[in-house]
Amino acid sequence: MDLLVQTIINGLILGSGYALVAVGLTIIFGTLHIVNFAHGAFFALGAYAVLQLENAGIPYLLCIPLAVIVVAIIGFVLELTIVQRALYDRGEHGSIIITFALSQAIVAAIVLVIGPDPLPVKSPFGQTAISVFGFFISAQRLFIAGTSIAVLMGFSLWLRYSIKGQQILAISQNPKGALYSGINVPRLRALSFLLGVSAAGLAGGLIAPLISAFPTMGDANVIVAFTVVILGGLGSIGGALLGALVIGLANSMFETYVSVSWTPALGWILVIFVLLFWPQGLLGRPELNRH
Amino acid sequence: MTESSIALKAQGSRGVVPWKQVLLLGSVVALVLGIGLGADSPFLLSLAGYTCGFALFAVSVNVMLGGIGEVPLGHCMFFGIGAYAPAIAMNHLGLPYEAGILLGMGFSAVLAVLIGWLTLKLTGAYFSIVSWGLSGVAMVTALNLEITGGPLGLFGFTRLAIGPFDLSDPRTYFFATAAILLLVLIVLANVRSSRFGNALESIRQGRHLAQSLGINVFRERLKALVFSAPIAALAGALCIPYTQIVTPEVMSVLRTVDALLAVLIGGTGLLFGPVIGAVIFTILPQFLQFDPNVKVLVFSLIIIFIMVVAPGGLHQLFKLIERRLEKRSEGRA
Repeated sequence: MDLLVQTIINGLILGSGYALVAVGLTIIFGTLHIVNFAHGAFFALGAYAVLQLENAGIPYLLCIPLAVIVVAIIGFVLELTIVQRALYDRGEHGSIIITFALSQAIVAAIVLVIGPDPLPVKSPFGQTAISVFGFFISAQRLFIAGTSIAVLMGFSLWLRYSIKGQQILAISQNPKGALYSGINVPRLRALSFLLGVSAAGLAGGLIAPLISAFPTMGDANVIVAFTVVILGGLGSIGGALLGALVIGLANSMFETYVSVSWTPALGWILVIFVLLFWPQGLLGRPELNRH
Repeated sequence: MTESSIALKAQGSRGVVPWKQVLLLGSVVALVLGIGLGADSPFLLSLAGYTCGFALFAVSVNVMLGGIGEVPLGHCMFFGIGAYAPAIAMNHLGLPYEAGILLGMGFSAVLAVLIGWLTLKLTGAYFSIVSWGLSGVAMVTALNLEITGGPLGLFGFTRLAIGPFDLSDPRTYFFATAAILLLVLIVLANVRSSRFGNALESIRQGRHLAQSLGINVFRERLKALVFSAPIAALAGALCIPYTQIVTPEVMSVLRTVDALLAVLIGGTGLLFGPVIGAVIFTILPQFLQFDPNVKVLVFSLIIIFIMVVAPGGLHQLFKLIERRLEKRSEGRA
């Protein structure tokens, strides 16, 4: 019984971390209708930014916002030079290839500049675990879960109640209509791209102390994020959180009760099943998915 | 469709010998013979053989990308199956290499029917993600099973030969792979101008219109996948004599990305595009002595550049330049 409760707690905490990786993906898809295959690369960039800043002697908690800014700047430059020119209002297969190539290029650049080996990232929470009613929770994971929920709530509230957020929703529903209503579509698209990749960078910076920083660290996480986002319904923030918790639980159950070495396949199998049998996801809009 | 290709098709249907194609075929055969007999270095020859194998994989990817307009990120799975099948056949079952190749091709075709039946209702990013997912599952499976040798993979193969042709000899290897590649290309050229090829082209351009014209879109897409999977498996098998080892890494999505790069460099619309792309993609880095990561970086940036400037590949870029030049000369006259 104790093992089950501990597994469920682990799963939920793990899941709220996944939500943070997934939220950026879902924002970019919701607004731009692009599946950003480079999400994992921005995740890695966030982790490496934290690493470099820490090496410069800046404390971890200050590194996080700085790293987010660094990733946002890189995202801004890429948006301006590539994404804006090639991705919007073009066919889907171009955006898949370009974002994928972008991700390869970023990962290769990280290997060339910093090196292929995993590097540890220090965090003040270290490896400590907090004991609650006899169950253990890793302090870093708790910190991630808290940040993640705060960020997700912030995004949902911002989209619902701010003028910019409403404009972004308008663009996601009908870009041409939004343009005719006087909304600055290119600028707001750039803004949502920036928000999406910054969220990826934030997630990278937060998760790095747990798994250390390595160039392809984004791959496994972005795969999970795909599962989460598809399960929750692409474009829905609430769905991303729900999906993340479900996947987190499934992963931790599978790891505890079935097999650790097969766990990487679980995420993929979940994605495949969700897409095949439930393509609109838990909270998604059905018309977005099958063409 | 350009005017010249319409003219070419009209010629073909009237039964006139298509001189342009015969000429092309002749010059390609001459090129292959030239390289095969002219080059002396075993390293260059086996590299050229590997390039042909890789080009075969790129061609197979292009059946999906250029044929039905989907990005098959998980196509590396079929490549991997094709590589593992002869390896397992030789090391565990005591079968010869050729039997392994055929087993791999057959198995991948059966698997393609199953996978396609399940996944080809999806399009765009959804298809790509599921496809990527399946290759991920395949890679984890290869890592965990005993018959695949786990993370170490399979190696130490006894006799890599197709019939009397011993592929461990670099020159034979090159000739064999080049001949197979050429054969597949000729088959593909015929398929392209067949009813099936036309149906695919119409689906790629507008699936709803194609459907309204009475084409069974799902079935034609399925056929395309089932057609391309054994080609990928054959490519996987033909790369063994070069690599001498099969590890779970053969199923890495990076391999598909490599092939996609090759296809895009050459252009998706052209039958020979993937081959040209594959040659550029494997030969150039060897001569420039690129670090693998520099290679990935440079080629990814090239892809992005091509997609931004000319989504049809180098082929389109040349056409664009050609048209500009023509316009300029017309302006002068």
